Amino acid sequence: MSPEPSLLPVPTRLEAEAYRRLRRALRGHARGATVVLDCERLEALDALGAARLLRVIAEARAAGLDVRLAHLGDAVRRTLAEVDPAILDEERPRPRRHPLEVIGTHALDTADAAGAVAALVHDTAAELAVPFGRRGIKWGRTLQQMALAGADAVPIVVGMSFLIGLVLALNGAQQLRQFGATIFIANLVAISMAREMGPLITAILVSGRTGSAIAAEIGTMVISEEIDAMRTMALSPVRFLVVPKVLALMITMPLLTVMSNVAGILGGYAIGVVALDLGSDAYLSQTVQALFISDVLTGLVKSVVFAVLIGLIGTHRGFAVRGGPEAVGRATTSAVVTAIIACILANACFTAFFYVTG
Amino acid sequence: MTDAGATPLLVVEDLVAGYGDEVVLEGISLVVEPGEILVVLGSTGSGKSTLLRCIVGLLAPRSGRVLIRGRDINAASDREREGILRDVGLSFQEAALLNSLTTAENVALPIIEHWDVDEATALMLARMRLARVGLAGAGEKMPSELSGGMRKRAGIARAMALEPALLLLDEPSAGLDPITARAIDELILSFKARGNIGIVAVTHELGSINTIADRAIMFAAGRIIAAGTLAQVRDAPDERVQAFFQRRLLPGNQQRTLAEELEWRDGGRSDRRTLGAEE
Repeated sequence: MSPEPSLLPVPTRLEAEAYRRLRRALRGHARGATVVLDCERLEALDALGAARLLRVIAEARAAGLDVRLAHLGDAVRRTLAEVDPAILDEERPRPRRHPLEVIGTHALDTADAAGAVAALVHDTAAELAVPFGRRGIKWGRTLQQMALAGADAVPIVVGMSFLIGLVLALNGAQQLRQFGATIFIANLVAISMAREMGPLITAILVSGRTGSAIAAEIGTMVISEEIDAMRTMALSPVRFLVVPKVLALMITMPLLTVMSNVAGILGGYAIGVVALDLGSDAYLSQTVQALFISDVLTGLVKSVVFAVLIGLIGTHRGFAVRGGPEAVGRATTSAVVTAIIACILANACFTAFFYVTG
Repeated sequence: MTDAGATPLLVVEDLVAGYGDEVVLEGISLVVEPGEILVVLGSTGSGKSTLLRCIVGLLAPRSGRVLIRGRDINAASDREREGILRDVGLSFQEAALLNSLTTAENVALPIIEHWDVDEATALMLARMRLARVGLAGAGEKMPSELSGGMRKRAGIARAMALEPALLLLDEPSAGLDPITARAIDELILSFKARGNIGIVAVTHELGSINTIADRAIMFAAGRIIAAGTLAQVRDAPDERVQAFFQRRLLPGNQQRTLAEELEWRDGGRSDRRTLGAEE
């Protein structure tokens, strides 16, 4: 048996105090209760009054109340209908969605997103497979992107890596000094930078710098219909936009990683020679002995994978933009966060793989 | 018009399309022949632009077919679709020029991609196309440096870059001053005068409709509610058609009749005669 509806009179004028009282009164009802707003005394509504009444009704319905309107005068009805005709529908609150429905909806959305990523990966790989000719890679655009993503990023990558090397050496020195093994700071810094820190620092900086720019550029092109315009001209957005950006990252990130490694080692060298009196020749000699070519190659392989991840995540987030400039902002943030998480996850997988395979 | 039995330029058959749960177009059928201008009328949100998106394959229909020179764009392979789209030029409502390229590079882009010409020749051709729409000398400007009317004209020049058989125009004169709007109407008529091109223009500008339409269809809520010559559409008994032609809501709730609209557009010089003929 349904509960008795409760009647709430709406005052003649919905001024601030009356509005607050009405909201408080509605909040006092339990979910599922039926409340009839008696509008008999409400003779006319100005814009602010209508906005307040609509807000109260929407808020109560969102909280699960069954709100109905009684004795609505023609003028008030017209005013409300102009703003939101649906508000006059005396519908019961929608039942909560079943958890299985929620899970199913999320699963379908995830499957759609996975399908879009798979299609992007497939199309990019297909375009990369044709390096030359009229339908080949746009090398001019790729060079432009290399300058933006690579050359322009050198100062920040080198600067940050130098500082990381410096910090690594300082922290390592505190521990190794207890064993009289401060010279092994050179090993610590060189191997850490080459295998892990160099590629990862570069990836994080490039994600923030280039990944965001890619998502923002493509997202803006989506909302200004530039991507649609390309499609109607039978031009592939993947060939024109995605491939040059991904390829530029694949070429420049290993180079940036090498620079990051060198800068980090120089940071450690600066601490070793200046602060720890290790001697320049001794430090460099220890570094050369500690580093194997496999350490450097491991980092370079990682950097290529990170480049692909950053490029594809940025472009995918850009293409997924729907709406206006706010959506571009969200896509940009999402591209950076997702790319950084993806790179860290990939790095963990690589490290585990190389550890197991020796 | 074409010879009897020839393949029409564009055939839309019983098209149903929409976004998400919303059906925007329902049961749309139309034919466009070479050498004619079909004007698609309707108020904002009636599905006119969605129709254009379906024609160029940007939106896959839920059912129905779009045939361009007899080829179904939605059933075509990627390579076949490319061939079909080379026959179609679409001018977007906001022009949709690529902001990272100059105006000339925008127009040259499809030429470079689809014709066997070098970049310098393509740019030369692009400047010629721009001159044709009254933008000689604007080729080196970036799209952000162009006015609204110039951007629209550049968008039309890009749509005409490959000399398509079918030109689609989305609100070509919306939001423009009367002189620029009239210039664009004349441009559209000049394309038609060249012969074999078929044009579909989506618009709700009464002045343009009267100037350029050979035939018209009128949309309301995603359905065609009137079709035929402009006179036939204007005489359709549907009250939405009558409301569209008799009254036009303007800022400040002023309303203009068609006659007043034409007066407003060009001082009534040429259109009085046309209007008189219709009356």
